[in-house]
Amino acid sequence: MSVLTLERVTKRFDRVLAVDDLSFGVAPGTVFGFLGGNGAGKTTSLRMVLDIIRPTSGKIEVLGRAPGRQNAPEIGFLPEERGLYRQMTALDTIAYFGRLKGMATADAKREGAALLDRFGLAANAKMTVDKLSKGMAQKVQLATALVNRPKLLILDEPFSGLDPVNQGLLEEEIRRISATGATVVFSTHVMQHAERLCDRLLLLAKGRKKFEGTLDEARAELPARLSVIAKQDPSKVAGVESATDRGEAEKGWRRWDVRLEQGVAPGDVLERCTAEQFPLRRFEQLHASLHDVFVHIVGAPEAAQ
Amino acid sequence: MNNVLLVAAREFRQIAAMRSFWLTLLIIPLSMVIGGFTPMLIHSDEPSRVMIIDRTKDGGEARAIEERFELDANRDVLNDLSRYAQRHHLEGADPSAPWAQHDRWYSDADVTQFVAAGGADAAKAKIARVKAKDTPEFKPSKPDYAVVAVPALLASVPDANLGTALKPVLKPEGKDAKPVDYVILIPASFGQSPLVRLWANRQPSQQFVSTIQEVLTRDLRTRFLAAQGLSPAAAQNAASIAPALAISTPPPGGGAREALLIRSILPLFAAYMLMISLMLTGSWMLQGTVEERSNRLLETVLACVSPEELMYGKLLGTAGVGLFMIVVWVACGLFAAYATQGAIADFIRPALDPLTSPGIILAMIYFFIVGYVAIAILFLAIGAMCDSMRDAQGYLMPVLLLILLPISILMQAVLGGNSGGVLMEALTWVPIWTPFAVLARLGLGIPAWEVIGSGAVLLAFAAIEIVLLGRLFRASLLAQGQRPNLREVIARMRAVPS
Repeated sequence: MSVLTLERVTKRFDRVLAVDDLSFGVAPGTVFGFLGGNGAGKTTSLRMVLDIIRPTSGKIEVLGRAPGRQNAPEIGFLPEERGLYRQMTALDTIAYFGRLKGMATADAKREGAALLDRFGLAANAKMTVDKLSKGMAQKVQLATALVNRPKLLILDEPFSGLDPVNQGLLEEEIRRISATGATVVFSTHVMQHAERLCDRLLLLAKGRKKFEGTLDEARAELPARLSVIAKQDPSKVAGVESATDRGEAEKGWRRWDVRLEQGVAPGDVLERCTAEQFPLRRFEQLHASLHDVFVHIVGAPEAAQ
Repeated sequence: MNNVLLVAAREFRQIAAMRSFWLTLLIIPLSMVIGGFTPMLIHSDEPSRVMIIDRTKDGGEARAIEERFELDANRDVLNDLSRYAQRHHLEGADPSAPWAQHDRWYSDADVTQFVAAGGADAAKAKIARVKAKDTPEFKPSKPDYAVVAVPALLASVPDANLGTALKPVLKPEGKDAKPVDYVILIPASFGQSPLVRLWANRQPSQQFVSTIQEVLTRDLRTRFLAAQGLSPAAAQNAASIAPALAISTPPPGGGAREALLIRSILPLFAAYMLMISLMLTGSWMLQGTVEERSNRLLETVLACVSPEELMYGKLLGTAGVGLFMIVVWVACGLFAAYATQGAIADFIRPALDPLTSPGIILAMIYFFIVGYVAIAILFLAIGAMCDSMRDAQGYLMPVLLLILLPISILMQAVLGGNSGGVLMEALTWVPIWTPFAVLARLGLGIPAWEVIGSGAVLLAFAAIEIVLLGRLFRASLLAQGQRPNLREVIARMRAVPS
């Protein structure tokens, strides 16, 4: 059973098609990355999941139910545009959102205090938000999303605007909550975070799904690349699409950048080299970065956005 | 519902945490206290001290002036007693007494009759027999003037030197010395010469000068008529001929108008409170909504509560603040009534008269609450459309002017005792002014059909507002960019949420 399912969901604003026939499912306990450039439809999709806006067509199911505030007790949400009530204290702010998510006052306060303690803000619990530093306020915002120990944590561009310390803290929290069996869905256009955290990925461009799968499956979308040191030009080996000479490595041996044909596994090429007694001093598979995959799938101009 | 209450409680707490809230909360009681004390500071309750140096042969002028002061003081007491009797319906104590007849200006003869019958003390004794237990005691006002004796030292000072000799009398040194406010010199030659001198330690009051002038004029005329051969008695009568002024006003007339105004105090107060609390809490609510938008925390909130819950919660929270302020103000008033040992309570009691009618109580509560919602929601919609207070001012000023301008005219009209003007009628039927117009008119008397009809129109207006402005609120919450123009605003109101 999926924690979150979208079936053929479309959202249109006047003449703009923000989300186009989007379908996917998120299995329980996974960290699901929602990738795409600006304007790809990530925020719109997440807002529809939270019932902040309604889809033009299609069906959404959250935790087995229709989207709506009845799901709030089991959802944690950190929007891209974050703000806090400036005159409320850190603890009251967290407790307020806990209460809005159906928690009892005492539980919300206790959980809020525990989170502030974990984030190193125990001494600032009674300070009003306008007296906190930006970094502290970011931690309070994260705490408002986590206070109800959500089954489904939805984070919209969670790393944007965070300082490196808080980025690390957030990654740690995502791993922590995932380890408890909760599901995390987060949107980002920073591929490194997705690469480090995600079990599964969805690539979105102009509101349409371009890819869905694991990181390895995403990499498989790109032809494999090898770094080879050989005496002869490897482009003659079957399965190799091209080989670029990178200069002499040592006497009689040259360095080659090898690009394999789509779908050809590096192991098969190594096997062929051995069988054909093609001398090698180095045979190293180069892993494609998610950024490369992204650029490959959605195209360079969109990736640049 | 729980979320609405949570949002409302947060709104309440946020406003209550503001310094401006506590300042404005205290301003009204403070201004009442200052307003209560100012007349005491400006207007001394003590009688003005008058010294009359009469150098005529028989000293008759001084006597005449003193008698006149006494007569006027008794006339004031009679007037006070008449109003007191009318307010508390005590005419039955002595229907033939002048104070039981309120339809005329009390002549000297009336006053003389009143004094001859024992004055205020005798009247109080008669009233005590019939008055209800909770009717306050009659307290006559103090006389305006007190005549002080001429010191022996001054008696022998020649007229020409009096100016210097009077200086220590008018402006005595020493903390506890009481100054004499007016000194009148009537020279020995008065009669042949009309010259009279007056020294005062400040600008003499118009009333004082007129009184002195009247007494002395009458005396000069008597002397003149006597010189013309008229007997002294005839000359005296001729000089005191005056018309008897009977006063008639259209019904309900006279003191009834005063009674109506007092009955209007509470509804007018309610209208005034509605206006003040709307202006204050409305602007705080607007500020709060703008803050949510500009601080970009709406999305977090909307993930937990629906836009409708947010809107109702905000309305409820700020209405709670408004109500809290009014409760505090009323409590301050009650405390003041208690602290002044009933002096204010005596004044307020007739004003609480409308509270004996359940219809008026219901109407006051209904128009206050529905009126509050109908107008406060306008502030909420403005807040939802604006990213900054500067943006909001653009919408706010026209709305404020629209609401406030006719209200000030309305209040003036009611205070002038005019309940049935065309303007009043018109304002009663325009929903944004209905609550103020009806509340203001309740004390003066407004036909039941108008109350029910305008109440229904107001309710319908508030319902339509909640639907249309609710849509505008919902559509505007997450909208980005420039302040919407009128076309966009209308489009958002027409957009039915899916």
